Amino acid sequence: MATILYHGEPNGPSLAVLAALGESGLDIECRRIDLLAGERHRLPGLHAPLARDMGVEGEGPVLVIDGEAMTESVFIAQYLDETGAGTLQPKEAHAHWQMLMWCRRVTERCAPAAAFLGCKASAQPVLAAMDADTFAALAGQIVADDLRSRWTAVRAGDFPAGPTEDSQTKVYDTAQMVEDQLADGREWLMGPLTIADFETYGWLAGMVELLPDAFAGKPHTAAWLARVTARPSVQAALAKASAGDPSRQWAPGPEINRWG
Amino acid sequence: MSDITLYHWEPNANSGKPMLALMEKGVAFESHYLDLLNFDQHRPEYLAINPQGTIPAMTHGDLMLVESTAIMEYVNEAFDGPELMPADARDRWRVRWWMKFMDQWLAPSFSMFGWKFFVGPNALKAHGREKIEAQIAQIPLPERQLAWKKAVFGLFSEEEMAESGRRIDVGIKLLEAELAKREWLASDQYSLADVNGFNLAYAMPLSQPHLANDEVTPNIMRWLRAIYRRPATRACWKLGRTPMASRVEILEQDYIPPRDESEGIASGVR
Repeated sequence: MATILYHGEPNGPSLAVLAALGESGLDIECRRIDLLAGERHRLPGLHAPLARDMGVEGEGPVLVIDGEAMTESVFIAQYLDETGAGTLQPKEAHAHWQMLMWCRRVTERCAPAAAFLGCKASAQPVLAAMDADTFAALAGQIVADDLRSRWTAVRAGDFPAGPTEDSQTKVYDTAQMVEDQLADGREWLMGPLTIADFETYGWLAGMVELLPDAFAGKPHTAAWLARVTARPSVQAALAKASAGDPSRQWAPGPEINRWG
Repeated sequence: MSDITLYHWEPNANSGKPMLALMEKGVAFESHYLDLLNFDQHRPEYLAINPQGTIPAMTHGDLMLVESTAIMEYVNEAFDGPELMPADARDRWRVRWWMKFMDQWLAPSFSMFGWKFFVGPNALKAHGREKIEAQIAQIPLPERQLAWKKAVFGLFSEEEMAESGRRIDVGIKLLEAELAKREWLASDQYSLADVNGFNLAYAMPLSQPHLANDEVTPNIMRWLRAIYRRPATRACWKLGRTPMASRVEILEQDYIPPRDESEGIASGVR
């Protein structure tokens, strides 16, 4: 069974999945791809590309098994956990619901905000510097119209004040949510280490430099970020960076909720 | 008496998902109907149970759970009964992927059309603008207030409606293609993805008659009728109190021909 994990620089959803892979104990081939060069849209050997083409997460990692593209970092992490060591999800139903709810809050509220702010800071100059023909060829390979429009907006520097402020608020809220959750002295967000730690860390780690005020006066969050960073699975993931600080590497992510 | 209470509206969309999951599992529960359009979900007695004022919610003993898809996963894991998640991990991934795609990409577009052409106008007609505005002002979460204003007063731009229409078109084609591959949506076994999908799609032959019918989407129609035949589905939709739920009876027809898009709007159920 041919299995390959295609991932971007170890930040955001790519970092979350790489860390989960490290915890799983599975031996799966990993291939780093250049997300901003559009390589995710040119993966070889896909006979079932639907999840790559239409995934809500945007430019996240793709686990390919026998030609089927699997996306959405939380669900890939669950797959890796369930076929591997099985340590990253609570076994009791209510605790599992709590973890899923936490991950959903992060993927629905924090992830679009972080991707928006991260792209504004780092992806925009890269795409703006791309010549028109190269960008047109890249955009033409993106199947989903709405994802393609997010790429176009990033290249054009279309970051209106309203969504920018809303995204900042959502990052603030997520940092506060983390601080509140850790206030009872627990080591990890759900008590034991779970997928929620990696998913949250992936989206938040790069926000510390961009929005330092969101993390100021939050000692529990700072200590938790340091604990996750020190985790061997995260260190192994970070070691896959091609160059520079991976927390500054962003690509178009999930869309901001259309209902406001 | 059960120690499980489900707070829900019609067997439709988000409310219908945990209703049908509970019934498929054979779990007895107290049904607590809340009239969404009368803003029952924002009354103090309900906010004391679910401070977010969202529907559905479920209590199980001392526990209170929200978010329809996550409640379904809890129901499947917490109670005995037929397994609604496949045994294979890759199949489970596919169930989760489709549920997220439907919940976050496709359903909001269906919802926009539903509120614009049917639910919003009916709510205004039944309760009046002044009463509804006062009730929206009582909603705890500001972003929910905004969503309710957009919904009830139809404050969607032409671009938003066009994008929702595009997504409905694309989404129906993707569902049809997937259901051409296998009997059920995400695996060879009836699963939470089918429970989720039925709640999203059961009225499509009425609301999108040009896109969903026996000529254009035979696999979707096969799938919808198969789910409609299940005893749990029959029992679940009997809990409906409005014409919204009775739309499911369209699936009793053996053949549904294509009709013009305008007939979906004219039917008042889009």
